[in-house]
Amino acid sequence: MIDVNAYLGHFAFRQLRHNRADQLLRLMDSRNIEQAVVSSAAAITYRNAQAGNEELASDVQRHRDRFIPFGVVNPAYAGWRDDLKICHEEFGAKGLRLYPRWHNYDLSDPDCIELVNAASDRSLVISIPLRVEDRRQQSWLVDIPDVDKEEIAALMKSCPDSRFILVNGSGYVRSPLGQTNNGLPANYVIDISLLTVELENEVGQLIENLGPERVVFGSGMPFHYPDPAIVKMEILDVSEAVKEGIRRRNVARLLRLPAASAKRPYLGLAE
Amino acid sequence: MSDPVISRRALLATLGGALVTQAAGARTRPPSSTPRARVIDCHAHLRHRSHASWRDDDRKLIEAADKLGIDQLCCSLLTPVKPATAEQFRECNQWVAEGMRRFPGRVLGYCFVNPGYGREALDEIRRCIEDRGFIGVKLYNDYRANEPVVWPVVELTIKLRVPILHHAGHPTWLSQPQPHMSDGGHLVELADRYPEAMLICGHLGGGGDWEWTIKALRNGASVYLDTSGTVIDEGMIEMATRMLGADRILFGCDMSMTAGIGKIRAVTLAAAEKDQILGTNMQGLLSRRGTA
Repeated sequence: MIDVNAYLGHFAFRQLRHNRADQLLRLMDSRNIEQAVVSSAAAITYRNAQAGNEELASDVQRHRDRFIPFGVVNPAYAGWRDDLKICHEEFGAKGLRLYPRWHNYDLSDPDCIELVNAASDRSLVISIPLRVEDRRQQSWLVDIPDVDKEEIAALMKSCPDSRFILVNGSGYVRSPLGQTNNGLPANYVIDISLLTVELENEVGQLIENLGPERVVFGSGMPFHYPDPAIVKMEILDVSEAVKEGIRRRNVARLLRLPAASAKRPYLGLAE
Repeated sequence: MSDPVISRRALLATLGGALVTQAAGARTRPPSSTPRARVIDCHAHLRHRSHASWRDDDRKLIEAADKLGIDQLCCSLLTPVKPATAEQFRECNQWVAEGMRRFPGRVLGYCFVNPGYGREALDEIRRCIEDRGFIGVKLYNDYRANEPVVWPVVELTIKLRVPILHHAGHPTWLSQPQPHMSDGGHLVELADRYPEAMLICGHLGGGGDWEWTIKALRNGASVYLDTSGTVIDEGMIEMATRMLGADRILFGCDMSMTAGIGKIRAVTLAAAEKDQILGTNMQGLLSRRGTA
C-alpha cells in the first residue's frame, strides 16, 4: 500500500506523535503501508519553507525505499526557483506540496503557474492539501480557509500537462472536480483520507464519475490516525482489482515509480 | 444482522506498541458485568423526513453499522432549522419511535427537546421515556448547559435514570457559528450542580479544539465524553483516555462511521478498555433504567 498523504516534523499548533522517520516507519509497518509520500509539516508555518525541506531531506535520507519526499515550495517567497532546483536535484523530491492559503497566495498567481509548470518540466507531481486542520479547531492566531475547489480546477485547466494529487478534501462531487464530463484534464487523483465510503459514499461516486484510476489511498498520518482510511478500504464495495488500484497502482503510475518499486513485496521496517 | 466486514476481533486488536495504561490519578470505575459487550454508537441520527431519501438513508445507516460491526445506534432526529418548536420536536420524536419499530433492537431512541418549552418539553420526555421506551434525552444548542432553563430537564432525567447527550464543542472564536453552544466547561458546571446526572459531552471529534475539551472535562468526574465526529486527529483518543479514564469515554460516530470505528481501532489500549469504550460504558448507563 502507498500512502500519498503523510508528513514528518513538527506542526506549529499541535503536538504530533509518530512524526520522526523511525516512528512513522513503525506506524507504517504496523499498518502494512509500504511507502508514503511525505513532506515537512513544519514547512507549513515556517516563513522560509525551504528550511522544512532541508529537515525532511535529512530525515528521509536513509529510508528512500519507504519514503517518497515532496518539497514544500512557496512561490510568493524569495528564492523559490532556487528552492525548487535544490528540492529536485539535491533532495530527490518527486513532487511538491502547495499551501496557497497558509502561504498567502492564489493558485492563479503568475508565480504559482510558473512554479507548477517549472515543476512539471522536471516531472514533479503537484500535491495540494485542501486543508491542514479542521477549521473549527484552528488556533486563535490563524483563520485559514480550505483551498477552493474552483481555484484548483482553474489551475488544472491552466496546466494540463501537470499531474496533481489532491489530499485532505471532501465534497468533491459537489464541485467540478468530482463530476463527470467536467471539462477538466484527467491529470489529477484524489485521496480518500476525508472521504466517505458509507452513507453518502463519496469514494463510490468519484469512482463512478471519474473512473477507478482517479482515487488513491491517503491517510494524513501522523496528523490523522491511519486507521479510518484503512477501514474505508476494507468496507469499500468494489472489486479487488479496483481496490488494488487505489492501494498502490494508481499512484505508482502517476508518480512513475519504477516497476520493481511498484511491485515490491512488503519488506518490513527498513533499518 | 449480517456478518460485519470489520470483525470484533479487528476492532479490539491492539496494533503494535505497548498497552496504554490509565494515568495515575485517573478515576477507575469497574466495568459493568455483562455477558457480552455490545458495540453501541452513542451518537447517531435518523434522517429528517423533509429529505425525500429519508427511508433509504436510514436503511443505509443500518447497513453501514452492519458492515462495521456496530450492534446498536442511539439515535435522535433534529429539525433542520433550529430552535425547534414543541410541535417540531414532538414530530421528530414520533419519527424516531417509528425508526425504533422499523429497526427493533438496532435503533435506540433519544428524545430531542428544546428546554425553552418548559412543561411541553418535560411532558414530551416523560412520554418518550415512560411510554415509548426511549433511552435518553438529546439537547442541542438552544441553551447552554449551565443555564437555569435546562435544570428541570436535568432533574427529570435524574428521576427517570436516563442520560443526556448534549451537543457540545469548543470552536475558536474566529469560527463560532453557534452562540449558545455548550462546551466541556459548561457541562462540568452542570455536573457540579447535579452530580447524579448522566451527562454525555457530544463529539470530541466534531466540535473544535478537542484538547481544550478533554482538559475542561478532566475534573468533571460524572461527565462522559463521546468520540464522534469527522475529525480523526491522531492521539485524541489516547489523550482522552489518559486524562479522563477509559470508563468515561463512549464510542460514537455522529454519522462519520469509518472515522468513528477507525479512531477506536487505532488506539493501543487493553482489550478490556476498548470494550468499555465501545459499549460497556454505555450499557452501564442504559442499565440504570433497565433499557440496556
